[in-house]
Amino acid sequence: MRRVIERVLNLLAFLLTAGRPVTAEEIRRTVAGYDRSSDEAFRRMFERDKELLRRLGVPLRVEATDAWSVEYGYVVPVDEYRLPDPGLTDEERAALWLAAQVVRVGGGPVGSSAVLKLGGARLTGAVDPVAADLGADAEVLGDLFQAVTERRVVEFDYRGRRRRVHPHGLGHRRGHWYLVGTEGGEVRTFRIDRASDVAVGEEPDAFERDPRVSLKDALRSQPWESGAEPPVRARVRFDPEVAWWAARRLPGVSAGDDQPLEVTLEVTNPEAFIGWVLTFGPRARLLEPPELVDRLVERVRGVA
Amino acid sequence: MSGRSSERTAGRLNRILAMLPWVIANPGTTVAEVCQRFGYTREELIGDLELVFVCGLPGYGPGDLMVAYVDEDQVVVDMADYFAAAPRLTPAEALALLSAGLAMLGTGQGSEALESAVHKLNRVLIPEGEEPLTVDLDAEPELVGDLRRAAADGRVVTIDYVSLGRNRRTVRQVEPWLVFTSLGNWYLFGHDHLSGEERIFRIDRIRSLSITDRRFEPPSPIPEPEVRYVPSEEDVHAVIELGPRARWVLDYYPVDVLADDGEVLRVRFSSADPSVAAGLLLRLGADAVLVEGDEVAEALARLREQVLALYEPG
Repeated sequence: MRRVIERVLNLLAFLLTAGRPVTAEEIRRTVAGYDRSSDEAFRRMFERDKELLRRLGVPLRVEATDAWSVEYGYVVPVDEYRLPDPGLTDEERAALWLAAQVVRVGGGPVGSSAVLKLGGARLTGAVDPVAADLGADAEVLGDLFQAVTERRVVEFDYRGRRRRVHPHGLGHRRGHWYLVGTEGGEVRTFRIDRASDVAVGEEPDAFERDPRVSLKDALRSQPWESGAEPPVRARVRFDPEVAWWAARRLPGVSAGDDQPLEVTLEVTNPEAFIGWVLTFGPRARLLEPPELVDRLVERVRGVA
Repeated sequence: MSGRSSERTAGRLNRILAMLPWVIANPGTTVAEVCQRFGYTREELIGDLELVFVCGLPGYGPGDLMVAYVDEDQVVVDMADYFAAAPRLTPAEALALLSAGLAMLGTGQGSEALESAVHKLNRVLIPEGEEPLTVDLDAEPELVGDLRRAAADGRVVTIDYVSLGRNRRTVRQVEPWLVFTSLGNWYLFGHDHLSGEERIFRIDRIRSLSITDRRFEPPSPIPEPEVRYVPSEEDVHAVIELGPRARWVLDYYPVDVLADDGEVLRVRFSSADPSVAAGLLLRLGADAVLVEGDEVAEALARLREQVLALYEPG
């Protein structure tokens, strides 16, 4: 490991100071650690080292060494390499570190390596075990996040079709991560764990952000608010035994002890809404509107 | 290089590239400070500084190599200006940090420092005026906060709990060890006096809570809770066919997949009480068909009748 780290530090120091694209051959001749290796050994070492640098967040690019594009070489643009200093205080770093310990994305230690880059944190005392796991594959999420912030097109398989999406945002809701974007000009929401073979486009700034896309609207916290149907107002009555539990789900609503609860909600996804009302069985009754009541009855009869 | 050893190599290199800029920006910093900040032992730090000392620019003579050593108790780094800034965050790191921060703030547990930290990070990571990330943990701040406090203070709580499987209400005393969230639900994990066992409770099923004066010592370390349905011999089984619109059931219920032709999914559903499967079938309507399971069929028929009775005219 020691030899690899020395070699990679030398390589990075060289690339950061070269100020021009340098060919693999020049690297091999110049950078300590590659000398005296055979062609094949050099190729393998160099591939691994590039991979290691990219993994750490080093922007390693390939560019033509001259205007005629005869030869290609490697560059690390210094401006892109350097982490912009967000000006964090020690207290803020410690708060971030703690958050990264308590909330995990994909189970990996990525949050901790990030805090080190930001200047480490003065840590005192023990930390709670992981209290929230946001699940998902951190690499895929990271790639999608980059696509969002750099406006790169993404493609992936989803429900049997290849999709081409302009990604606008990522959101976590009720245990799942979602990608919100436009597909063929329509605003769409995709559940990320159902997408596969995710590929991020090479070109940054590949699309204009669509002002109609709102992450908040696309990921409304209630499933019955996230539909495409024209909004209807639905009135439901909950029996006293379940009123407290229903109220838990409804921000700003509270249920009196052993009192029934009657609420009016705005619904744009009637299917999801009916599903939710039915989780209360006979202890919730949909009062209005009649069209929705009909749909509920059909669902219960098993015909819809 | 195997996966694990390359991970260790990446971790060590990351720490070096993070530590150097900090020492360069804070001349005269002490070994203790650097160790605390970057999670080093003294030996590890000295090892990494020795390694840095033999690296540098081509030529690799005394004027080309970096200078890095410990002098008395000070850490000295020189001739390493190209490493005066840490590498930028990878997209995965940026996302992990921001979403962890947003998640904490969303549960009402975030400090002011966290709020300003997230704000500052947003400013350098994300183009102005955009909010490309939301994290909604769907927490119940009040109960979660109270339970966390009780866990931290080591106080037994009394909970009024409605169990999911049997729809039974119990009042029980619990030693709260850990409050956590997984797949969109919040849970309390601890020792349950009523059953005398370790138990996991869904926090949204706790009707009310009081913190008692009784103290407890949590086990050390706290065992890893596992949110999983534990099958029992008395379980009721059913075989259900799920249509394309009912595939989400897989993500939320403990089912065994028996067959999947891409269209219809055939699953085995097990629960302590037939009403759980019946309740699910009721809300799925025509998107699911019960293939096998007499007890569930009976419970479903009963449930249907009760619900339809609410909507009968007159």
